Amino acid sequence: MLILKDLLESIVQKALNEGASFCEARFFEERGNSITIENGIARSLSSGILKGVGIRVIVNGRWGFASTNMPTKQNVEKTLRDAIGGAKSITAQAGEEARIVEVKPSVDTIIHEMKIKPEDVSPEEKVKRMLEVEGAARNFSDRVKDTFILYGDVITRVIVCNSFGTLIEEVAPRTRVFCRVIAREGDNMQAGFEGLGNVAGYEIVENIEVEKFSLRAAERAVSLLSAHPPPRGTFPIVVDPRVGGLFIHEAFGHNSEGDLVFSGQSIIADKLGQKIASNLVTIIDDPTRQGFGHFIYDHEGTRAKPHILVRNGVLTGFLHSLESSAKIGGEPEGSARAQSHHHPPIVRMSNTYLAPGDLTLEEILEDVDYGVYLAGSQYGYVESQKGQFTCKVEEAWLIEKGELTEHLRDVAISGLTLEALKNVKAVGKDFRMDMPGMCGKSGQGMYVDAGAPHFRIDGIVVGGRR
Amino acid sequence: MEKIDLITPVERAMRILSRLDVDFYDAVALYSRSLSVNIMGKGVKEASAQIDVGIGVRVFKNKGMGAVYSQSLEDADVEATVNQAVSFARISQPDPYFKGIPGPSKAPEVPDLCDGEIVNLTLEDAGRIPKGMIDAAESVRGGAMYLGGFAANHSRAYLMTSTGVSIESEKTSASAYLQPVYREGDDVGSSYEFDFAVSLSEIDFYKVGKRAAEKAIEQFSSRKAESGSLPLILSPESSSSLFSALLSALSGESAVKGRTFASGLLGKQIAPEILEIEDDGTIPGAIASSTYDGEGVPKRPLNVVSRGRVMTFLHNSYSAGIMNTESTGHAIRGGYRGQVGAGPSNIRVKPGDSSLEEMIAETKKGILIINASFSPNMVSGEFSTTIDEGFLIENGEKKHPVKNLMAGGHIMDLYRDIELISKEGRTFGKGFFFPSIKISQVKLSGK
Repeated sequence: MLILKDLLESIVQKALNEGASFCEARFFEERGNSITIENGIARSLSSGILKGVGIRVIVNGRWGFASTNMPTKQNVEKTLRDAIGGAKSITAQAGEEARIVEVKPSVDTIIHEMKIKPEDVSPEEKVKRMLEVEGAARNFSDRVKDTFILYGDVITRVIVCNSFGTLIEEVAPRTRVFCRVIAREGDNMQAGFEGLGNVAGYEIVENIEVEKFSLRAAERAVSLLSAHPPPRGTFPIVVDPRVGGLFIHEAFGHNSEGDLVFSGQSIIADKLGQKIASNLVTIIDDPTRQGFGHFIYDHEGTRAKPHILVRNGVLTGFLHSLESSAKIGGEPEGSARAQSHHHPPIVRMSNTYLAPGDLTLEEILEDVDYGVYLAGSQYGYVESQKGQFTCKVEEAWLIEKGELTEHLRDVAISGLTLEALKNVKAVGKDFRMDMPGMCGKSGQGMYVDAGAPHFRIDGIVVGGRR
Repeated sequence: MEKIDLITPVERAMRILSRLDVDFYDAVALYSRSLSVNIMGKGVKEASAQIDVGIGVRVFKNKGMGAVYSQSLEDADVEATVNQAVSFARISQPDPYFKGIPGPSKAPEVPDLCDGEIVNLTLEDAGRIPKGMIDAAESVRGGAMYLGGFAANHSRAYLMTSTGVSIESEKTSASAYLQPVYREGDDVGSSYEFDFAVSLSEIDFYKVGKRAAEKAIEQFSSRKAESGSLPLILSPESSSSLFSALLSALSGESAVKGRTFASGLLGKQIAPEILEIEDDGTIPGAIASSTYDGEGVPKRPLNVVSRGRVMTFLHNSYSAGIMNTESTGHAIRGGYRGQVGAGPSNIRVKPGDSSLEEMIAETKKGILIINASFSPNMVSGEFSTTIDEGFLIENGEKKHPVKNLMAGGHIMDLYRDIELISKEGRTFGKGFFFPSIKISQVKLSGK
């Protein structure tokens, strides 16, 4: 790896010699394996290696970026010329000035530990284990008509070298299992999902309790066959930790991303220090915490720290890159990541969560006369500039006089960020973070996690068919 | 610029595979060069160039598949890729539905899919392009903060299969996007506009910028709307999601294995007779056109919905094999890294005899949707979607924009309740065509 680091350092020096005021050369390598199981058959095994170098420069106050996946000296030097050429090409255009905070250099190597390296487990063994996981779901009921399991492991190696003198190498494993079950009764088809993933090795697969994992997806799919459409209108909702995590990520999290803040795309851009949520709301993004979004250094080489974004309802900070720190103030604390060498680092969430309160689920529910309890997240999105969000959930129940009654399916909620945060009326103590996933932004996918305890929000629009 | 050789590594992979005891195999190598100029905040922020190459190998043994890719085309890496794929194919288990991969077919070349201007575009030239878009927006109203950009891509691919397919292809594309955000106190006016095409000259950057600004300003003073059941009028930008969802649900193995809401629709009347949908991947110069699909099967036009009735699935060779029929040429290969799936190409909805103005004029109370995705739960067909941008219609007139309003129902009800289709519409990328449509009644959740 020394030759590679030497190459990156020489490129950074060359960039400075050629007039760049800043240069970052980043090597990225990701080795991945996957197995697809479908209805009792290990239908395909796949693998691949992504590898290359991305170079970012500031020349004449503008950003240029270029990448190659042929990281020879000659190609990397050409890539630097492209990056410099890119910055020069927009020098004359009206636009957003490239400006970054100056930081002390970091030199470090981090290798995340694994109890069981995925490469030490044979493909045959992995197939055998996944068939066990899948079989439990398939045999759950004769109404289960289709099962699908996707196993994946990746080892990501990132080396960041920049003109501050930073030279960071971080190697992290991620292992994931995803399960989808389709149940059918006549023309009625419903799907149930379950997933797990973490910055960890194969041990998380060894630890799967089949009965609790794939069976949950099967049970959900079958039970949704007899669930009803939700009521329409505006209701108090109570969310489980997965829906809560999705809400915190979509409704608030994207709005706190520094690049969206300085570019005028965030509804909370001018609200630092102001009350934007109820007193019960404390929101933290913590890359240092174990979770699918865990890392030690970001892709600008900044050491990650936990970020308290909202404390007792008051907006206390934003997530930062070197650039957003310079433009809106605040310390860079490691929130810039890139999907691969083909992408420049942008501000991303990591493990984002609502801090726990002190209520039990029963106590949260007991004040709800008529509302909706939402469980299991599917996906969501936000129009951060307007502060309007949507979250799609797996299943729901009516709440009637504090009790869960009718089972509901195909439920989504929509709300306005600033209203919804103020309407958080009760927060539970049963915190959980297990929503490993990929977050999409500006054409880049990134590993993230999210969590929350159970909590209640009043006045949320529930989309439905009734 | 030095031309990267894709043929030698593919032939090398095929030579190694031909000596091994496997049943079927294919190899594809791909080169792509992307230039992009990002707009953020006050204007242009960053210019970038990416060059990507790779090779993907699929091997089948006893109906089991191994698939491996590498971003290196070096001899040793190609050999390692092949060996890994072979070893995986031997471990994977027989898929009873797999019947082989297609052999070679001859088809007339679909012309005008590669634009010389994009092939020769330099980053310096690219850097100048977004200015027109921003100037156009500023001419409508100054002071916006922006998100957007311009991107151009040139790609070449070479595919060989053990069944004798050998295809070289080359394609270009360009896209533009602008989202201006205007603020007046706490009120926000924001929208976006986009365009994409095979050729650079087909994108009207001025129009993208101007329309984006005009649409954004219209979004000021949005208000919450009441729950109810109202007619919806979908602009071409939002009707596209409704029809794309149907064709995706009719595509490939998910459709024929009964995993989508459209699995049981073959031959069924799903909409009034005015609805006609064609899929055509042979339109010259169109964004989703190609001479061959991802498996080397010639593309051909397909009547998917005729007089409101579903006529066919969109097959690749795998899904066609399950139904003992021929592939319709809808295999999609996701580059060198992706698996082979199936999906629509240029979707064309036949124009009707109404117009957007007429639809609004004859609506006593309803919602005009500018931007919302009607993609449903692909298994159940149920949907629940936020109307991201829309307007209340009252007494035949477009009133204020709405916010925090959702539409919900079953996607099949939307097709069934299509009342009017406009004669005008929007062509995307010279291939897709979507009109405005009016749906008689949809359930809405609001305040």
